[in-house]
Amino acid sequence: MTFLVANNLPRRAFLKRLGAVSAMGAAAPLALNLAAVGDAAAFTSTDYKALVCVFLYGGNDHPNTLVPYDLANYDRYSAIRNGGVGRTAGGIAFGRNELTATALSPLVGQTLTDNLQYALAPNLGGLKSLWNSGKLAVQLNVGPLVVPLTLAQYNSDNRVLYPLPPRLFSHNDQQSVWQALGAEGASVGWAGRMGDLALAGNNGSAFTSISAGGNAVLMSGNDVLQYQVSPNGPSPVWSALYDRYSGALKSSTLRSLITRPSSNFLENEYAIVTKRALDLQQTVSNALNAVVLNTPFDVDGRPNSLADQLKIVARLIGARNTLGLKRQVFFVQLGGFDQHDNLMVDHGLRMQLLNEGLVQFQLAMGELGVANQVTTFTASDFGRTLSSNGNGSDHGWGGHHFVLGGAVQGGRFFGTAPKVSVTSDDQVGQGRLLPSTSVDQFAATLARWFGVSATEMPGIFPNVGNFATANLGFMQ
Amino acid sequence: MRFRRVALNTRTLTMAPYPDPSPEVAVDETPPAAAAAAAGTDAAGATRSTLESTGLWAGLAGIGATLAACGGGGEAAVATASVAGAAGTAQARALGSAQTQGLGDASAAAQSGSAGADSGSLTTANTVRTTAADRARFLLQAQFAATPAEVAAVAALGYEGWLTEQFNLPQSQGGYDWLVASGNTDPFRGEFFFPMPADYMIWRQLIASPDQVRMRMALALSEMFVVSTNVMDAFWPGSFMGAYWDVLTKNAFGNFRTLLEDLTLNPAMGRYLNMRGSVKEDPATGRLPDENYAREVMQLFTIGLNQLNLDGSVKLNSQGTPLDTYTQSDVSNLARVFTGYDYDNTGVTQTLTTFQPYPIPSPQYARSRMAFDASKHSNLSATFLGVTVPANTAGPVALRIALDTLFNHPNVGPFFAKQMIQRLVTSNPSPAYVARVATAFNNNGAGVRGDMKAFWKAVLLSPEARRLPRAGGGKVREPMIRAVQWARTFRATSVSGNWTIYDQSSSDYGLSQSPLRAASVFNFFRPGYVPPRTAMAAAGLVAPEFQIHNESSTVAYLNYLADWVGDAFGYGEIKPNYSELLPLAADAPALVRWLSLYLSASQLSAGTVDAIVNSLSGLVVVPSSSDNTKLQRIYAAVLLVMAGPEYIVQK
Repeated sequence: MTFLVANNLPRRAFLKRLGAVSAMGAAAPLALNLAAVGDAAAFTSTDYKALVCVFLYGGNDHPNTLVPYDLANYDRYSAIRNGGVGRTAGGIAFGRNELTATALSPLVGQTLTDNLQYALAPNLGGLKSLWNSGKLAVQLNVGPLVVPLTLAQYNSDNRVLYPLPPRLFSHNDQQSVWQALGAEGASVGWAGRMGDLALAGNNGSAFTSISAGGNAVLMSGNDVLQYQVSPNGPSPVWSALYDRYSGALKSSTLRSLITRPSSNFLENEYAIVTKRALDLQQTVSNALNAVVLNTPFDVDGRPNSLADQLKIVARLIGARNTLGLKRQVFFVQLGGFDQHDNLMVDHGLRMQLLNEGLVQFQLAMGELGVANQVTTFTASDFGRTLSSNGNGSDHGWGGHHFVLGGAVQGGRFFGTAPKVSVTSDDQVGQGRLLPSTSVDQFAATLARWFGVSATEMPGIFPNVGNFATANLGFMQ
Repeated sequence: MRFRRVALNTRTLTMAPYPDPSPEVAVDETPPAAAAAAAGTDAAGATRSTLESTGLWAGLAGIGATLAACGGGGEAAVATASVAGAAGTAQARALGSAQTQGLGDASAAAQSGSAGADSGSLTTANTVRTTAADRARFLLQAQFAATPAEVAAVAALGYEGWLTEQFNLPQSQGGYDWLVASGNTDPFRGEFFFPMPADYMIWRQLIASPDQVRMRMALALSEMFVVSTNVMDAFWPGSFMGAYWDVLTKNAFGNFRTLLEDLTLNPAMGRYLNMRGSVKEDPATGRLPDENYAREVMQLFTIGLNQLNLDGSVKLNSQGTPLDTYTQSDVSNLARVFTGYDYDNTGVTQTLTTFQPYPIPSPQYARSRMAFDASKHSNLSATFLGVTVPANTAGPVALRIALDTLFNHPNVGPFFAKQMIQRLVTSNPSPAYVARVATAFNNNGAGVRGDMKAFWKAVLLSPEARRLPRAGGGKVREPMIRAVQWARTFRATSVSGNWTIYDQSSSDYGLSQSPLRAASVFNFFRPGYVPPRTAMAAAGLVAPEFQIHNESSTVAYLNYLADWVGDAFGYGEIKPNYSELLPLAADAPALVRWLSLYLSASQLSAGTVDAIVNSLSGLVVVPSSSDNTKLQRIYAAVLLVMAGPEYIVQK
C-alpha cells in the first residue's frame, strides 16, 4: 500500500487491480497476493509500451500469405490450389519462381512439419527484410479455441468436454471472437481490458485506447473507451467555436445543444460522444502539431488507407509524452480480404498495402526512438480454405499471423506448421485449419510483454489456463 | 370474430384504424402463444400511448395556430381499437396492474366506432387524437420527410389509408433506366468504369422520386440485403447498382419470395457475393463450389445463425446454449445449388470508342437475370436445412427448392421483422412487437406468406410503433437519412440537373455513411451492436447506428451540416428551397416550431426550442427584412435543430 501511494498511483485504479487479484478468492495464498501487488506496480514503470493491432477484415488467405516453398510442399500446395504445370502460376497458386525472393530462412535452426520451408507473398518483400533483421516473427496456425482440440475431438458430439468457439466461419462473429473472445454482442475486448489495467499509469487518459480504424470491440474495456480518430487527426466543430450566419447562430448555443445531458439514453450517449470529441480535440491537435515525423507513409503513390491509419498512430505515439502516456493500445484495419473470387489480384494488392504500411510504420518507430517499445501484430476473422473454389478460397478457421517490433524474437516461426493437405488431421476439411495455438495464448503473450501479470491474465483471457502455456515466446 | 368486426367498423371512418386490426394483418382467432403475449404487451403499451399522447398534445396546444397557418394544423381523432384477437390475454396481463386502466377489450374497442365523431374527447382510453406531431412522427418512420401537405393527407386518410395510397402509387422511373436516359451509359463519355453514377442514381432516387415510401422501404432493404458500390469494379458499376436497386424498389411492395429470387439472380449480387461464376466441383483438381452466397443468404438474408421463436428470441437447448440454424455442411451443400450462373450477355452489343483499344459492352448484362449453364452446375445431391435436393435435379428446380426452403423457414419472419423495425421505428422492439410483425409476415390474413404490404403495415401500425417510447426508445436517425430528409423537406434539387453527388462516406467532412456504400455485406452497422460502457449496454439494449457514431464522425457531420444548410448538400450539388419558411423568419418561435414539427415530429424539448429561439435573436429579422437576412436566420435555425441529439434520435 505504502509502496503504491509513494508511486502516486491513483487509488481507484489500484483498488481495481487489487480487486482483480482478490477475485481469485480468499483461498489464494498470501504470498501470491503479495506477488500480485508487486505485479500491479508493473505499469507504473517509467518506460513506454504500445501494442498496435492490424486487423485484416474479411479473413486473410493465409496460404497465399505464407506460401509453402520447398519442392515437396510447394507441389502439394500447387496441386491443391490448381497451379500450372512446371510449377508455374495457375488457379490460386503462385508460380514457384515468384516466391524465390521472399523465401524465408529462420535465423535460428528450426525444422517445421514435413520440413516445410515458407516464402512470404511476393509483395511482402519489405517484411522479409524485417524478418532478416530479427524484427518480424510468424505465429503459425493460430485461431479461436476454448480448449486444445484434436480432429477427433472436434468431430465429437461431446461439447461439454470439447466446446467449440461460437459461430465458426462467420465473419462478424469470428471478428468478435478474435477481438473480444466471444461472438458478436461481446462488448469488452482484450486490448481494452489491458487498457483498463494501464489506465492508472496513464493518469486515466482518454487516449489509452485509440482506434484509427473505426469501431472495434477489441479496444473497449470495462473502464476504457476507445477514442476514435480519423487519419487526418481530429477537427474542431467550427460552429461551436465561432458564431455564424450573421449572428443568428451563437456558437455557445450550438455547443450546449450538442453536448448537454438528456434523460433519453440514446440522446444522452450520443451527446457524450460529441462532448468527448470537443473536449479532447484541442489537446490532441496541439500535441500532434508538436510531433516531428519525417518517415513517409506513401512510398509508391498508391492510395493506402492502412498506411494512412498507421501514420496517425505513429504521430500519436510521437505525442505520447505530451499526452502523458505510458501504455497504449491502437487499432488499424485493412478490409477486402473476403476473397472468394479474384483472389490472386485482390490479395496481391492487399499484401502490397500491408507491406508498405508495416515497413513504413516500423521505420517511423525507429525515427521516434520507440522501435523496441511498440509491437505490431496482425489479426483477421479467420484463415481460409486451402482448396480452391475456382478463383478464390472460402472461410476457414486457423491462420498465420505476424508480430513485428524491436522487442519481438524475430526471424523465427512459432507454433506448429500445418501440413499442406486437405485430408490431414490438423484441418477440418478443405484445408480449414484446426488451430494448434489459441487466440488466448497469442494475445496473452502480447499482454505479458505489455505488463499484464500472470495473476491478471485469467481475468482477461478466461480460457488461457486450458492451454499448455500463456507465453508462446515470440516476445523478448 | 369480434376483432374483424372492429376492423370493419374502423374502416367505415375516414380516419386511420389505430392500431391496426385490419384484415391484412389479422392474427388468427386462436393466436399462438407468442402472439397472445404480443397482444398483451401491446395493450399495456396502448395505455401509455394514450396518456403520453395526451401530454404531448398539451405541450403542443399552444402552437396550434402557427401550425395551422403553415398548412399542417388541425387534428384528427383516431380510434384506438386496441388489440385484437387476444384481448382476453391482454386483459389478463395488462390489467393486472392497478395503474393500467380500461382498454383492450372488445367493448372498449367498439367505442372506437364513435370515437371519430367525438373528436373532442381526450380522456377516453381508446381514443387518441392524432396531432400534427403524431402524423409527422408517422411520416418520418414511413418515409424520409414530412411536409405540411403530407401531414394534412395523413389527417384526411388516416395512417392505414395513407399507407395504402402510397402502396398504390405507380412506381417511378427506376435507377437503371434513369442512368440510360440521363446519358450515364453513353460509352463515348468514357465513364464505363466510374462508380459515381451509382451515387448519382441512388441520391436522385431517394431525394426526387415521388414514390417516397417505396424508396424508404427499399433503402431499409438495402441495409439487410447488402450490395456495395465500393467494390463494383466492372464495366458499368452504376448500371449494376441501378439494377440491384430496382430489384429492391420493385419488390418492396411485393412478396419476399420474389424479392429473394430476384436478388439471388441479380448480377450485382452475383458479383458481390460471388455466386456469379461459381462452378461445380471438380474431383480431378479438388476444386469446390464457392460458398459465399450460400452462407450469407442464410446468415444475413433469411434465417440468421440461431433458431428463433416467433418473437425473435433465441431458442436454447437444455444446456441453455443457442440452437444453430445450420452447419458448415449445410453451407457446402447449398453452395452446389448456386453453381452454374453467370452474366446473361444476350442482347449485349459492343461499341468501339475512339479512345480505347477494347470494345465497350452495353450495360444490360448488369440488369438481366443471371443465366444458367447446366454444364457448370453441380449434379451432386445437396442436403441442407433438412431438405435434400436429389442428385441430377435440374438447376432451376434445385434453385426453387432451395429458395422455397429458405423462404418457408420459421426464422424468416422474426429475423426480417426485427431488422426492418430497427430500420424504421426503434432499435429495441419488444418481443411482442416482433411477434406481431412476424405473424403478419407469416400470413397476411389471406393465407399468403411474405406479403410485403402486410409486413410494412404491421411494422408501422403496431401500437408500439404508434406510441411514443419511453427513455431509451427510438433509434438514431442514420446520417444518410438526415440528409435525404433535409433535401426532401426543403425541396432541394440538383444544381447541375445531373445529380452529381459523390460518395458521402468521409469521416472528416461527410456523413460517415453513403447509400449503397456499406463497407461489407454486414452493412454499416450490426443489428445487435451494443455501444460499450453506455446506458444502453447497462440496460441490455442495442443501438446499431452507434457503431458509426464516434469522435470523428460526429464532428464531420456537424461541420458538413453547418455548411450544407446554408449552401448545398453533396459538396455544392443539391440546393434547398427555403421559400416556404421566409414568411416565418421574422417570428423566431414560429420558425423553430415549424422546424421542430416537420424535422423531428415536435420532439424538441421546450428548453431546446427556447435555446434556439434565443440564438436566432442574435440577428434581428423583421417582416420587411431582405430575403437574404431571413435566410441567414433560417440557416441557423435548421442547423441548430439538425445538430442536436433531440432531433438525431428519432423517438
